[in-house]
Formats: sequence, C-alpha cells, structure tokens
Amino acid sequence: MNKTSIVKMKACLLLVILTFIGFSLSACATMVTKGDKFPLLYEEMPVSILILPPMNESTAAEAKDYYATTIQEPLSFSGYYVFPYEITTDILKMEGIYDAELIKDLPLQKFREYFGADAVLFTTIKKWDLVYMVIAANLTVSIDCELKSTKSNATLWQYNGTVVVDLSGGNTGGGIAGLIVKAVVTAINSAMADYVPHARTANYMALSTLPYGKYHPLYGKDREQQFVEQTRLKQ
Amino acid sequence: MNHLKFGCIVLLAIFLSGCAAQRMYNWGDYSNTLYQSKKHPSDKSDLSHLQELEKIIEESMKDNLRIPPGVYAELGYIYFRQNKRDLAINNFKMEKELYPESTLLMDRLEKAAKLDDKPKPSEGNAQDASPDKPDKQEK
Repeated sequence: MNKTSIVKMKACLLLVILTFIGFSLSACATMVTKGDKFPLLYEEMPVSILILPPMNESTAAEAKDYYATTIQEPLSFSGYYVFPYEITTDILKMEGIYDAELIKDLPLQKFREYFGADAVLFTTIKKWDLVYMVIAANLTVSIDCELKSTKSNATLWQYNGTVVVDLSGGNTGGGIAGLIVKAVVTAINSAMADYVPHARTANYMALSTLPYGKYHPLYGKDREQQFVEQTRLKQ
Repeated sequence: MNHLKFGCIVLLAIFLSGCAAQRMYNWGDYSNTLYQSKKHPSDKSDLSHLQELEKIIEESMKDNLRIPPGVYAELGYIYFRQNKRDLAINNFKMEKELYPESTLLMDRLEKAAKLDDKPKPSEGNAQDASPDKPDKQEK
C-alpha cells in the first residue's frame, strides 16, 4: 500500500524534473515573439473559438474521447470564449461529423454562420503511447494544435505540446536485485499510468504560446512575449 | 545532487505561483468529472459531473469570479436532455447574458427547447436548424 504511494510520488517528481530539463533545454532554442510569429491572429483578433473533435493519429482508439475532455478548460484561461464542447460535438455528430478530418476541406465560414465562432481549433493526437522495455518505460503524449479563422480559413496559430514521462523505477541500487526491483517498479508504474493528466500538461505547454483573448487581462498586450520556436516536422 | 533537488523545488515554486496569479476562473474538478463520465459512463458519473457544474457556478459566484465560458450552457444542455425545459432555457439565457459571443448558439438551443416536445434534444435541433448547419454533404 505504502509502497505504491511512494512509487507514485517518485513518478511525479520524475515528471517535474523531466519537465524542467525540457524547459532548460528549450532555452537554448530560438526565441520568437507572439507578434512576429502569429501576425494574422493579432490582425483578426478572434474572440470565440470552437473546438473540433480531435484527429487521432495515435494507435490508442480511446485517446480521442479522453483527450477531448482536457482542452476546453485551458483554452478558456487564454481568454477566449470557448463554445461548450459537449454541445457542439453533439450537434456536429448529428450532422455526421465525428472527426475533424471530414471538415478539413470544408469552408470554415459555416462555423461562423451556424455557431457564431470566429475561429476553430483543430487538434491532432500525434502520440498517446507507452514504450515498455522491461526495466524502463516511457509514456508520451503529443498534441498538435492549429487555430484557423472562419473568416479567411487562414491558420492564425499553431503549436505542439509534447510530454514524455519516464516511468522506470529510478535508481534502486546495483546488482541483479536492484534490476529486479526496478523492473517491478516499472511494471507497477506502467500499469497505473494515466495519460490524461499528461495530456493536460501538453495542452498548457502548447497554449502558453497562444496570444491572449478578450477575457484575459493581458489581451492585446502580449505581442512582445517570447516563446521557443518549434521546427515543425510535418508529414 | 542536493543542489539539483533544491533547484527543482525552487523552479516548481515559481511555476506554481505563476499558475495561481492568473486565476481567472474556478473550473473546480470539471475536467476530471467529465473524463470520469467518459471513462466509466454511468448515471453516477453523469450525476457527479452535473453536480460539479452546479458547484462551479455556486463557488464562482461566492468568490466573485466570472463563471467559466460554457458552464451555464453545458448545464442547460444536461437539463434539456432530462427534459427540464425551464431550467434548460434559464441556463441558456444566463450563458448568453454573460457571454454575448454565444448568442447565436444559445438562441438556437433555446428555440429547440421551446419547440420540441420529445425528451431528446436531437430531433428538435435537427428539424429546427438543418438547412444552415455545417454539412459535409454540401461541398
């Protein structure tokens, strides 16, 4: 009993350390300002955003429904009016749209006419998996976000959030005994692994680069804010 | 080793305080109760999500915070599905008042709640607004 909670704590600490290693590494990368990178967004100043059903490129079928529960809340903190996802997806489902894949080539104007949305958010689950290697295991959640205008169909903002969590038992001492302990701890961690909290972290990473909307105190004042430029490996 | 640990704690503290400073909304446990209702769908998990929405409204009001976008609407939608029309319409109106950006959608939902006599909102919505919905067959 107690052991599991210690294991859990260890996993948490590891995540935190990993996140900061990520931050410090990324500090070496090129910095850009929001204003330079997303000029179209500042031009259009969208107020309301409709979240489309995620596109799932991962091997986990359940990832789509689970991930969808994590995005509305952080997006609202960026200061936008976010349409209630539970309602808008139901309406889209009635129209046979279960997946944003089907909407990709549609004129997005429809979303302005029907919902009153200034922009729509496409999300793609790139990775939602666990790589298990007996004494080590890595959990990865990777999300691509793209905000598109319903006025011009132009891309107003895009960024990726990726979280990699090491679920291995850490340092358990040397020798065969240590390795066995590590394997057991890794197995326990992997069995308990829950992706959703990490998906939330990935969202916050990606959304930290999104210029603020009308309901945020820094609305219109964040053009000079810097963030790490991502080299996109689009396929 | 100890230095690294200390550094991590300091960074964590900075990180956490950053979150606290920009608290605009109280979303309570929203994301989690919603996730649970998807992961373990049952009347029980649906009910706890409904209660969470009510709690968010109650606590936000108490703390003088703006109700997060979509919360009134989602609550109204749940009432709508439970055929509690008046409660549903009330909540749609609250959402519209708080967020004028939602007017178009809230008016549609309100209209559907007033028109449709069947317990499911789907039929009402479909009849009510099919011509101008985003429709994949159209293009």
